[in-house]
Amino acid sequence: MTRYQVQHRTSYSYDALVTSSYGVAWVMPRRMPGQEVADATVAVLPEPEDLGISSDYYGNEVRYFHVTSPHTELVVDAHSVVDVATVEFPRALLDRAWETCRPLGSAEPRAWRAVDFALESPLVEHPDSAREYAAATLSPERPVGEAVSELVHRIHADFAYRPGVTSVTSTVDEVFAAQAGVCQDFTHLLLSCLRSHGLAARYVSGYLATTPPPGRDRLVGADASHAWAAVWLGDDHWLAVDPTNDTRVDDRYVTVAWGRDYGDVPPVKGTVFTTAFSSELSVYVDVQAV
Amino acid sequence: MNGLRDYVATRGALSLLALDSASSGYDELVAQDGAPRAAWRRLLAGHEPDLVDLRRVDAEIERMLSDDGVVYAPPGQRQHQWRLDPVPLVVDAAEWADLEKGLAQRAELLNAIVADLYAERTVLSQGLLPPEIAFAHRGFVRSLARPGQNDPAPVTITAADLSRAETGEWLVTADRVQAPSGIGFAMENRRVLSRVLPQLHREAAAHRLAPFFQALRSAILQAAPDGIESPRAVVLSPGPMSETVYDQASIAASMGFPLVEAADLTVSSGCLWLRSLDGLQRVDVVVRRVDAAWSDPLELRGDSRLGVPGLSEAVRRGNVRLVNSLGAGVAENPGLMPFLPDLCEELLGEPLRLSSVGTHWGGAPGGRDLLIDRMSELRMTTLDGRGVPSDAEELRRRIETEPWRWVGQDALHASSMPALEGDRLTPHTVRWRTFTMRHGASYRPMAGGLATARSAVGEQQVSKDVWVVKQDPADPDQGLSELMPVTALRTPATLPPRARGDMYWMGRYVVRIEDTLRLWLPCHALAIDFHHRPGSPGGEALAVLRAALRRLMSASDALVDADDLRTALSDAGRPGSVAQSVEQLTLIAQSLRDQVSPDLFRVTGALARALDASRERASDTHLGEDAETMLTGVLALNGVSENMVRDAAWRVHEIGRTIERASQLTQLLEPALGRRRGPEIDREVFDAVLQVTESAVTHRRRYRGYVRVANVVDLLVLDAENPRSLRFSLERIQQHLSALPASSGSTRPERLVDDLLALLSDTDLAHLVVIEGEYRPRLRELLVTVQSQLWSLSEAIENVHLASGPRQRPIELPLVIEP
Repeated sequence: MTRYQVQHRTSYSYDALVTSSYGVAWVMPRRMPGQEVADATVAVLPEPEDLGISSDYYGNEVRYFHVTSPHTELVVDAHSVVDVATVEFPRALLDRAWETCRPLGSAEPRAWRAVDFALESPLVEHPDSAREYAAATLSPERPVGEAVSELVHRIHADFAYRPGVTSVTSTVDEVFAAQAGVCQDFTHLLLSCLRSHGLAARYVSGYLATTPPPGRDRLVGADASHAWAAVWLGDDHWLAVDPTNDTRVDDRYVTVAWGRDYGDVPPVKGTVFTTAFSSELSVYVDVQAV
Repeated sequence: MNGLRDYVATRGALSLLALDSASSGYDELVAQDGAPRAAWRRLLAGHEPDLVDLRRVDAEIERMLSDDGVVYAPPGQRQHQWRLDPVPLVVDAAEWADLEKGLAQRAELLNAIVADLYAERTVLSQGLLPPEIAFAHRGFVRSLARPGQNDPAPVTITAADLSRAETGEWLVTADRVQAPSGIGFAMENRRVLSRVLPQLHREAAAHRLAPFFQALRSAILQAAPDGIESPRAVVLSPGPMSETVYDQASIAASMGFPLVEAADLTVSSGCLWLRSLDGLQRVDVVVRRVDAAWSDPLELRGDSRLGVPGLSEAVRRGNVRLVNSLGAGVAENPGLMPFLPDLCEELLGEPLRLSSVGTHWGGAPGGRDLLIDRMSELRMTTLDGRGVPSDAEELRRRIETEPWRWVGQDALHASSMPALEGDRLTPHTVRWRTFTMRHGASYRPMAGGLATARSAVGEQQVSKDVWVVKQDPADPDQGLSELMPVTALRTPATLPPRARGDMYWMGRYVVRIEDTLRLWLPCHALAIDFHHRPGSPGGEALAVLRAALRRLMSASDALVDADDLRTALSDAGRPGSVAQSVEQLTLIAQSLRDQVSPDLFRVTGALARALDASRERASDTHLGEDAETMLTGVLALNGVSENMVRDAAWRVHEIGRTIERASQLTQLLEPALGRRRGPEIDREVFDAVLQVTESAVTHRRRYRGYVRVANVVDLLVLDAENPRSLRFSLERIQQHLSALPASSGSTRPERLVDDLLALLSDTDLAHLVVIEGEYRPRLRELLVTVQSQLWSLSEAIENVHLASGPRQRPIELPLVIEP
């Protein structure tokens, strides 16, 4: 069990007054097996006229806010203390033939929920490029754990980490063409590879610890929000893997929210009423082991 | 020649001999044995109209639809007049008795499915519906399916498209649940047809539609959240360019609900509000004619300008109800159809009464092979609404890869019936859109509907009224002997910002049309006499008026002869032409249907007909008659304005009229009076100016026919008594502005008008008409100043009184940029 203090601050500044700002934010770590949230607050500045906290379709905590005092800067500042443990998977689960983990047409009682994550989603299409790329790994009856690890490894080896070549709306085909991208692109790519063969996999947004627990290597540039994927292994078991760092997700990873793709759980999105022509976004993330 | 009876005879013979393919299917009029069907027997026995009657009736229908301004814009096409065939689709009482139960049951079933998919999702967890069918469909809105959400009545209105199979059975080909359209068209079709065929309509004893409509109004108000005593409903429209703007506006107008666009609404404190001149007013029910995906840019499509940010949140909190709910579109899914029989047994505990057209899902056992085998004969669609490849090999490959995504529907040989095509009756295939509403705790279909007929031999597509015949003429209409209590009296008309702007521009266009015509008419008359005598007084006067007219027209279009009077009148493509102004006025009128007298459409219809007539004239000589007709028409609009309640809407409208008048006046006076041309020519020009500005009589009375420039300037610029003078107009604007709620005495529009009036007061008439060389520089300077100030004034009025605040934009999403 590792305890982290997390701060995630998103600020927008505008070149003219904003008279009304509506937003939704997924910035609170979620409670789940292997993760406890001890203390959590989200402050929106200026003080919103209206604030709503609810659980979204996938059980993530989402905040709705409406700021009506005229402003040129908006800040969404989230603080939390989170305890994370590495979730161990029984060998038998990881050794299941990958074909048996496909939820469509499955008789497993919880399979119907996983189906949502086996279909195309707005930002994750199933192009032939991804289907063919994954086919080399998904040979008949291969153990699912091994197959997923290999796919993650191949993506890490074949694609370069390079910010700026893709955007939040880049498609899987565009990432293939660029052979490069950022964590969100690699996650979408992995989702497309798995889903186009019928497996269910979800997009997970969260953070990666900056300060490594004693005896571990520090991962590069961790001070931002991060994204990875989780593959369904039946029942309510989801194997989380990070294609950006070629690793299985462990107690260095703090989970905020999951959905079908980035579009379901962006940290903050909104609509503003303004005469401003441009806005500047800055994001500050700090994850400290305590 | 006896129209319908002839059709029966011919079709009868053809179907007996099976001579043509169109006659091999089911015919609505003629049975297999060649005799007329039961529903038609009564009509054919009576004074059934012959072909000559039908052609006359057809012309009357066209005229009435034009008077009512009924328009329709098929996807990708320009708006055109709605078309209605004189021959209705007639459905007999026995047949309706079955259909009625089937349609009610279907609406109840779709409601139960939607309610379950957004709450417990038992249909998925119990395996009644494969989950991918719901999850892959675009209509499944996850932000509305949050834990704790539970709406037992998400569906208030449904529409089902029916076609009759060769067996004679009506089958559902599509369910419309997202934002069903067509009830307004159905009402209008009936209104028109019952007037042009009064006797036939009476003899047919068809169910009247009005009681359904009244009950629907009450059903919409009852959809309001619990505990609201007199709920307010609005109709949310995507705007005047929408395909079915008439349908939306006519429903709003006849139900007394304001027609609004997204910018007229705002979410605050988790509730939905209508911006009105009297401040924010709470909205309880939205008749949603914007597709769900576009309804909330905050949580749904971020690029939408048609939605209200925060609407989903207001819905989730139960502070506003949408008709239909944001998630209802999932029931339009063609993939549901094969599962409806089982779902009906499970959710309603009864067998499904009304069948769908044969529908095959690729994810079912054997479904993939079936789809691939019958690919070419089935109507192929996808669950997620993606396009179907035209290449057969590609289609086969896609079905093989993801069979669950594909749905194939049997092609139906729909029934046929006659419709007037050109000047004869030809067989058309017919499709019937039925409507069903929530009525108390159950559902009730409209005994009637909207039919579409497509020619079996030509290209024509035309709408038809649907007459559902009563068992006994004494039966209550729509079977609604007891009307549901109306929960609220007519909601007081409120004026959303969108309508305020439309009122203003309506005023401007009405006057623009009138003044352009008043200028055009003497131009035309002078052109006939003096076209070839440019040096003569008449010829010079013509040149001056033309110069004024040219200012209103496009100067940039070098291809158009700037002096061409024909295009100035009737070419809608020419900016500033009468035709273009009429087109603009017609467009604005559509979105004001809920605010103004229906006489407006009579006028726009008459204008459009006169324009059509002018386009057909071979020579220019008689164009004047069409322009006179148009002038008479547009003058009738003064009556519409006079009969408006003296509220803020009327004031905004009057301001629009008056600013336009002032602006037209300065545009005319500057070229006409700014230059001296010699007494003989000037007299001719002044006469024309006085005629155009309707001030000739006043002038004659006041100055006894002595035409001097100072008199003309005095009368048209400085006079405070002449309703056609600049000062009079500015004072009117001043009065109206000061009475508007947003005015404080010192707002920019008020300051601008005050300055303009001060400018006129400080002006000395003798000084103003001083001549330097050929010109009157002070007069020209004044008129140019006034023109540009009027521009600023119009802009300021739009900002202060008509705008709904700063524009909306999505916030950029933070990129996830960590390795």
